[in-house]
Amino acid sequence: MTLLNIDLVLETLGIVAVRLDDDFIVREVSGNMLDIPLNTDMREYMPALYGLEEVFETADANMSMPFVQIGNARDEPIALTVRRDPETGVLWLFLRDVREESAMHRQLVQNHNSLSLAQVELVKARDAAQKADRAKTAFLANVSHELRTPLHVIIGGASILSKARNTPLEPDEVTDYAIDMHESGVLLLQLVDDLIDLSRSETGNLILYEERCDLCEIARAITTLCQDLPEARHTVLECQVPADPVWLFADARRIKQILLNLISNAVKAVANLNAAEVIVTLDPDMPSLTVADNGPGMTAEEVATARQPFGQPRAGVRGKGTGLGLSIVERLVSLHGGQVVIVTEPGKGLAATVSFDPERLLKSTSLSQNVS
Amino acid sequence: MKTYKIVVLGDFGVGKTSLIRRYVLDEFSDEYRATLGVHLYKHADTLVEEDLKISLVVWDIEGAPLPSGQTQRYIVGASGAVVVGDMTRDDPFSAMWAAADIFEEALPGRPLCLALNKCDIATIDNEETVARMKRRYDCNAFMTSARTGDCVTPMFHALTRSILARGL
Repeated sequence: MTLLNIDLVLETLGIVAVRLDDDFIVREVSGNMLDIPLNTDMREYMPALYGLEEVFETADANMSMPFVQIGNARDEPIALTVRRDPETGVLWLFLRDVREESAMHRQLVQNHNSLSLAQVELVKARDAAQKADRAKTAFLANVSHELRTPLHVIIGGASILSKARNTPLEPDEVTDYAIDMHESGVLLLQLVDDLIDLSRSETGNLILYEERCDLCEIARAITTLCQDLPEARHTVLECQVPADPVWLFADARRIKQILLNLISNAVKAVANLNAAEVIVTLDPDMPSLTVADNGPGMTAEEVATARQPFGQPRAGVRGKGTGLGLSIVERLVSLHGGQVVIVTEPGKGLAATVSFDPERLLKSTSLSQNVS
Repeated sequence: MKTYKIVVLGDFGVGKTSLIRRYVLDEFSDEYRATLGVHLYKHADTLVEEDLKISLVVWDIEGAPLPSGQTQRYIVGASGAVVVGDMTRDDPFSAMWAAADIFEEALPGRPLCLALNKCDIATIDNEETVARMKRRYDCNAFMTSARTGDCVTPMFHALTRSILARGL
């Protein structure tokens, strides 16, 4: 019988067998796949052995790893097996070249992982699309509702006024119907304007006409304008801004619109209070504008609702506005590179702060310019 | 100088390889390439504050589901672990809990840390879960980004300090 040539077997199978002593020092190497010097610490060559010193103190130690790569090399995996011969107690390490089989395994793992990651992204995209679709549907339902309410008032009023009757309406009644129809018409116009703004901001078509404008002057002008609002009759509405101008490179008309919305919201929030107060302040360094009221305040959930188009923060309570004001404010502020921060607690009033990108601040000597 | 074995665990595609390659090689690639089996990186470093040289072998372990017991075999003898989660995912924490449990069951008392990865493009929505994990495993959490390198080296250094502090 011919003896099996172990070295031939190892070479044929691409295996290196390394005999180690208990300190992982190389004592014998069989096979020629790799050049492993004798009497060196095998852990320096195969760092997978670090940490395993205690494990291989036992007589039946055995460990196998199908694919091991080392260092920066990305495509040279080897299979590693370390085991102690239970009969002789000798520690053996076997290395096998698995480059060919690893290529197939890698492809399988890569495909599995890539497909799984793609599936996650697809589910995310589907969920986002469904959410957007639901939001769009809810938005359309809200728009329909908001358009119908004032239209009903106008149509109903016109119908009553135009109807032939035996007993004519009293002049006061006619005036009341006319006022209601006018207010509804104004509300409709405002709603349509707001919808156009919202739509333009959604599609990126809301263009800013930027120029040098004085935030203090705008704050004073809009505060004065709001003092004439019917809801502000019993409200202390103050504008506490610096006397010196604070120049900002911004769209003055849109800044006025932002402030008008915020003050209008605040005035409505405090309309029924005895000591109603709305204060407008300005921080010239940020720069930022704050509109603070001493109204009923909101919970965090109510604020989140108010930030949504047509969001009614208090269930069952409809405001007199279009319900789009805050959404538009946030989009306009965002277009100016700023943000809206709302600080409020139930019973502790509400402060809405609009801060702008500090780079928009202009020195008083800067020239005005128009950019669209 | 003793060389410490650190294993990096977590679901596939969360950025384990990227974190390691950022730490060891100071490089980053957007290309996703799955790790097969384990990939070992030997790295010599210095804890500057302590003026202490350290030697680590960092184990990058395949994130795809492995045959039963294979992960446990890979983590044998580890001195510490980094458990990585991808903060852009809807639920990054389930896989982190699972990986941390495997490590703690196999090597109780050995330190681990949490890498809340891809923080350059995501925010952490569930800070309460992070706080619970920190309490549960008595560990630190790091908001990492392999892309920018944020917190990557400090995280490996902090884990090494925990290993040294425990006299492992």
